[in-house]
Amino acid sequence: MAASPFTSRSPSMTVASPNTLRLRASAAQNGVVGATQASSTPTLNAGQELTEQLNADVRQRYVKDKKLGEGTYAVVYLGHLREDPSSFVAIKKIKVNAEYKDGLTMDAIREVKYLQELSHPNVIALHDVFSSKDQNLNLVLEFLPRGDLEMLIKDGDIQYGAADIKAWMGMLIRGVWFCHENFVLHRDIKPNNLLIASDGEVKLADFGLARSFADPYLNMTHQVITRWYRPPELLYGARQYSGAVDVWSMGMVFAELLLRVPFVAGNTDLDQISKISDAFGTPAEENWPGVTQLPNYIPTDPAHAVPLQGRDFFLRQFPTAGPVGADLLMSMCALDPRKRTTAYQALCHNWWTMDPQPTRNEDLPRKMGTKKMGDDLSRRGGDDDGPFKNAARQLDFGAMK
Amino acid sequence: MAANFWVSTQRRHWLFSREKLADIRERLRERDKLTHSQFPLPDQRLLNIYFNQQLIKLGKRMSTRQQAIATAQVYLKRFYIKNEIRQTNPYLVLTTAFYLACKMEECPQHIRFVVGEARGLWPEFITPDVAKLGECEFALISEMSSQLIVHHPYRTLSELQGELALSSDEVALAWSVINDHYLTDLPLLHPPHVIAIMAIIVAVVFKPAHPGNFGSSAQSALAGAMRDGGGMNMLAALSDKLGSGPPRIQKLVQWLAESEVDIKAVIECTQELLSLYEVWEQYSEKPCKELIGRMVKSKNLDK
Repeated sequence: MAASPFTSRSPSMTVASPNTLRLRASAAQNGVVGATQASSTPTLNAGQELTEQLNADVRQRYVKDKKLGEGTYAVVYLGHLREDPSSFVAIKKIKVNAEYKDGLTMDAIREVKYLQELSHPNVIALHDVFSSKDQNLNLVLEFLPRGDLEMLIKDGDIQYGAADIKAWMGMLIRGVWFCHENFVLHRDIKPNNLLIASDGEVKLADFGLARSFADPYLNMTHQVITRWYRPPELLYGARQYSGAVDVWSMGMVFAELLLRVPFVAGNTDLDQISKISDAFGTPAEENWPGVTQLPNYIPTDPAHAVPLQGRDFFLRQFPTAGPVGADLLMSMCALDPRKRTTAYQALCHNWWTMDPQPTRNEDLPRKMGTKKMGDDLSRRGGDDDGPFKNAARQLDFGAMK
Repeated sequence: MAANFWVSTQRRHWLFSREKLADIRERLRERDKLTHSQFPLPDQRLLNIYFNQQLIKLGKRMSTRQQAIATAQVYLKRFYIKNEIRQTNPYLVLTTAFYLACKMEECPQHIRFVVGEARGLWPEFITPDVAKLGECEFALISEMSSQLIVHHPYRTLSELQGELALSSDEVALAWSVINDHYLTDLPLLHPPHVIAIMAIIVAVVFKPAHPGNFGSSAQSALAGAMRDGGGMNMLAALSDKLGSGPPRIQKLVQWLAESEVDIKAVIECTQELLSLYEVWEQYSEKPCKELIGRMVKSKNLDK
């Protein structure tokens, strides 16, 4: 939590009231009673000022600087604590449809819902929530200035090795373990949602697709997780799934860190399935009992079936991981979600205690020029939907009942 | 049921002592004495019964999960300890609470659909303009400090079902007792596991002679049994941990003694429930409907 400008995470959430005020005021606008209620009843006004004051206090604590980026449901600004210009925060302003047409999107709701409750060094911290005069909800988030894992992977000027990957993967799996321990599925793990704090700590961000584990037998949508990181059970349309979906995504991130290119990058959902089959083996009843019953299962021509890949394949394909690292990766990429390792089991793996030891945070490679924060920010700002880009982000109202 | 209750915002920010709660409400009243004298409203619990019935009507038309209705009820409670009910249009607030709760409990309904259904039920009080609901949603989230996850006792009940070897009748009755507790202040006073245990004890101790269909509420099944007092003595016995009465109940008492659950709180909850069932007998929909209607109309809160 060293990146946090605060001594402790104390979300003193004192939000709003101007909205309620407006709610009431607008209620009276057309009325016979006339005038606005707030002003006609001073005693009431005093009370509202109190809550409004609390909100204003929170709002006053921060200064909004420049815009960092814009997504479908939010605009992100760089901000800082008024009393300490060197302590940066990211202020995510949730766009409320001008006409309040559709209510708040599920993305915004989910982000607020989960970040309010989850507090862990590897999960982005929500410091405060306040509403601004123009009726917007503002989330004050931990500012993570060192970009994301995707930038590191893609930057050819950066050299990194097995020890660095071990450090990053350790932080990622700890963050995901914590979510699962609290019955939350992230459902959008990919390198560009893994942000890096100024001290090098990796933090899980963007909870716009997160949800709680469903009660047994209740359906969830399979339209989640960016395609390249989406596990085969979701591609086959499974409506009941578990933390194993996030573990697959982490396996894909692991492979990508090792190869420096996405390992299975399909152009369509169908292509994704065939690429997964080619790489890891064709899903079939023998290696994955029940797979043929999944709603969108497509039988493969036996002539083209690829047998389930074993340890040798992973060793050959990912030599930098070493035999034990390859073993961990293999356990995360099991086709059958029931055979896939859990986040907890992954953390208990031998790999962590073997040489090389994970790199210490302060020694981790960093993107060049991030000392000049502006460069980094302009990238984020320029990449219009950078942190929000998500093809799979659709809500299926009918199906989610 | 996400995250850990012990570090949850519910435990940190939305559980109050009885005194604190009374104090908060008294302050709301002090601030707005005139309106209070102009628009008297029935007992809070009677209002809650009325609101709950409206929510159920709304939920039924969209086949919603019970848990979303429960969350909506908690949202209403949270909203109305920060806001004077007489300054709001309760029909709009309850529709909004329902709409938001559905999103939170992962059974989202489209805003137009919700508004349409609400208009079908209360055409005088809900405008066709969906923006109103969107605006109210924003206010609701703000007033609740965007702390939206509510932990419910239902999960504890299902978890203890096996451990305490509860029969399906007992579980059904306890489930209905949990439904009923949302009509009281208990969700703002005690953690969900205490409520769940209260519901289990009530179901086991007061199990009515004619089990069967309790409906969504346990009131009709339990009110009489609880009033005649026999069971209350058994409850009293719980507190001295000696365990008297039939072996079934002794076993439960023993489990409780070892569980370190706050038995005093459990008994307090039982009393609260009993007094709810007493008040319930005075309930009639008409005065609630009329008083709220008069209030909303004469203050033009429906626009």
